[in-house]
Amino acid sequence: MSLLQTRGLTVRFEGLVALADVDVAVGEGETVGVIGPNGSGKTTLFNALTGLYPPATGDIVFRGRSVAGLPPHRIARLGVARTFQSSRLCLQLSVFDNVLAGMVAARRTGLLEAVAWRRRARADMQAALARARHLLGLFNPDLPARGWERVGQLPQIDRRRVEICRALAAGPTLLLLDEPSAGMSPAETRALMKDLQIVRDERRGLSVIVIEHDMFVIEGVSERVIALNYGRKIAEGSFAAVVAHPEVREAYLGQEHARA
Amino acid sequence: MILVWLTEALVFVLVVAGILAERPRALMLTAAAGAAAVAVPATVPRVRTALTRAFEAHRAAAVAGGAVAALALPFALRSSPYWTFVATLALLYVTIGQGLNLQIGTAGLINLAGAAFAGIGGYTVGLLTVSTGWPPWLAVMVAPLVAVAVGTVLFVPILKTRGHYLALVTIAFVFIFNVLMNNFEFTGGPQGIKNIPTLTLFGHRFTTAPRLFGVTLPAHANFYFACLVVTVLTTVIIRRLHDSWLGLALNTLRDDEIAARCCGISITRGKITAFCVGNFFIGLGGALYAVMVGFVSPPDFDFGYSLVMLSVIIIGGVDSIPGVVLGACLLVPLPERFRFLHEYRLLLYGVVIVLMLLYRPAGLWPAAVRRYR
Repeated sequence: MSLLQTRGLTVRFEGLVALADVDVAVGEGETVGVIGPNGSGKTTLFNALTGLYPPATGDIVFRGRSVAGLPPHRIARLGVARTFQSSRLCLQLSVFDNVLAGMVAARRTGLLEAVAWRRRARADMQAALARARHLLGLFNPDLPARGWERVGQLPQIDRRRVEICRALAAGPTLLLLDEPSAGMSPAETRALMKDLQIVRDERRGLSVIVIEHDMFVIEGVSERVIALNYGRKIAEGSFAAVVAHPEVREAYLGQEHARA
Repeated sequence: MILVWLTEALVFVLVVAGILAERPRALMLTAAAGAAAVAVPATVPRVRTALTRAFEAHRAAAVAGGAVAALALPFALRSSPYWTFVATLALLYVTIGQGLNLQIGTAGLINLAGAAFAGIGGYTVGLLTVSTGWPPWLAVMVAPLVAVAVGTVLFVPILKTRGHYLALVTIAFVFIFNVLMNNFEFTGGPQGIKNIPTLTLFGHRFTTAPRLFGVTLPAHANFYFACLVVTVLTTVIIRRLHDSWLGLALNTLRDDEIAARCCGISITRGKITAFCVGNFFIGLGGALYAVMVGFVSPPDFDFGYSLVMLSVIIIGGVDSIPGVVLGACLLVPLPERFRFLHEYRLLLYGVVIVLMLLYRPAGLWPAAVRRYR
């Protein structure tokens, strides 16, 4: 049985159909790549899966239950974590705080403990901090030492890593990565691909959907590729098969080149 | 260690000198010295890092020194009941400021109805004691809860509006509160509620001058010490909440609601919690004010006081707990000192806030990174 299954997923903004009748399935431990030209609905798919855009019609089944229409924080607590195309970190907050934000939903202590049962609250926080250090260290051994710095002081690639750490901190079963290589140099992109490998080694059984423009990244990490255009799924299968698909070639290169 | 003691002693001397200096020239000198004491560390990074390091390394010493200074203040001010009163007022502004800062600074809820919630606390004390005959201490304990309860009428705008729009709604709330207090009969209309009974502790009435260590202090010193206890408790509670999962969740949703929601943070729960906890302490400050001055009336809680509360946070440091303490200790006594400037005083006040927003938007004591210690 697949971990995530959408059936006829449709998202509309007024008259515009951003996502039309999309069926996507992701199995446990599988990594699926999503490609498509700008405006083809890739990010809209993520926003629908995380509950930011409730679907107009269709259903989203995650771990055997329908999550369509649930608010984003409920879906997140069920085990869906994501990163954003243009990073959405809190630049004023420390690196640790940003990673800890991913663990808020899994906290063990509440307000009363925070005020009146300090030892327990502190132990909870220290355990969370240790986990944040561990996660950061997986990606870059220097990051845990910079944990108290504000995220705004980190270079772009480390910010991306912090954002992935925040997503992993929640202990998700499905991780959505929205263009992790956006705005990165080729060397940084190679480093990022190693990071994606780390993600998969760290949590076996973790399913990943990754949106990418960089075909090199997609080819390297995904076991299966889905191509979107104008909000529709136009192709699905192995990387080689999808790239060779005539509709995909047409979407990327225009009609004439596709024929040639 | 010596650096910590020296700085604290210097600040303490400056505060007392600033308050007690009677002649305008002496006042100007102390004001200039105070400004220099703030400006030098703010502009010379080496002095600032040296000071922060010293305070970091000797936290216990710094806290002990601050406690001694706070306890000694009424003795330094024993000749002046008025300045003892102003110092107590500053403490109440710290309590109110901590509650408001949880809303404005930590959660990003621009609440300009601080005066109204303080007023609800104050009026509750007045009504319960004068009309119903409750003991004052019980009324002071219940009043913050009433402020929280009345705050529920703002839940919808809190959740549905943001930033400036929420600010506008809360401004409207202050004005509605004032109109209602002016027109309701049971609140005494424009006259307000008079003769609110004072607090008593083990048979000691707070209106009788206390004698401590052979020194007779003004009667207001009673309230000073009571408010000091409340203020310290408030600050410790807010500090613990700020350094907990709640503070982290509130900061995250303040900076990026979408990211927060995708992290599993409930925006509704976060904002409501911050709003209620904040209103509790704002109401508590208003309640203590009512028992201290013995009467409440609509002009005591008009929109202007909301702005003073906001200024305490802006000048001290948005989302900064020590900043609120500093902001209240500067902003409450200083304008009193400049009374000889008459109405230009308020102009000066506005200029200072505009300058702060332009050149030091994080405040005099900017929020530090959360260290979970």
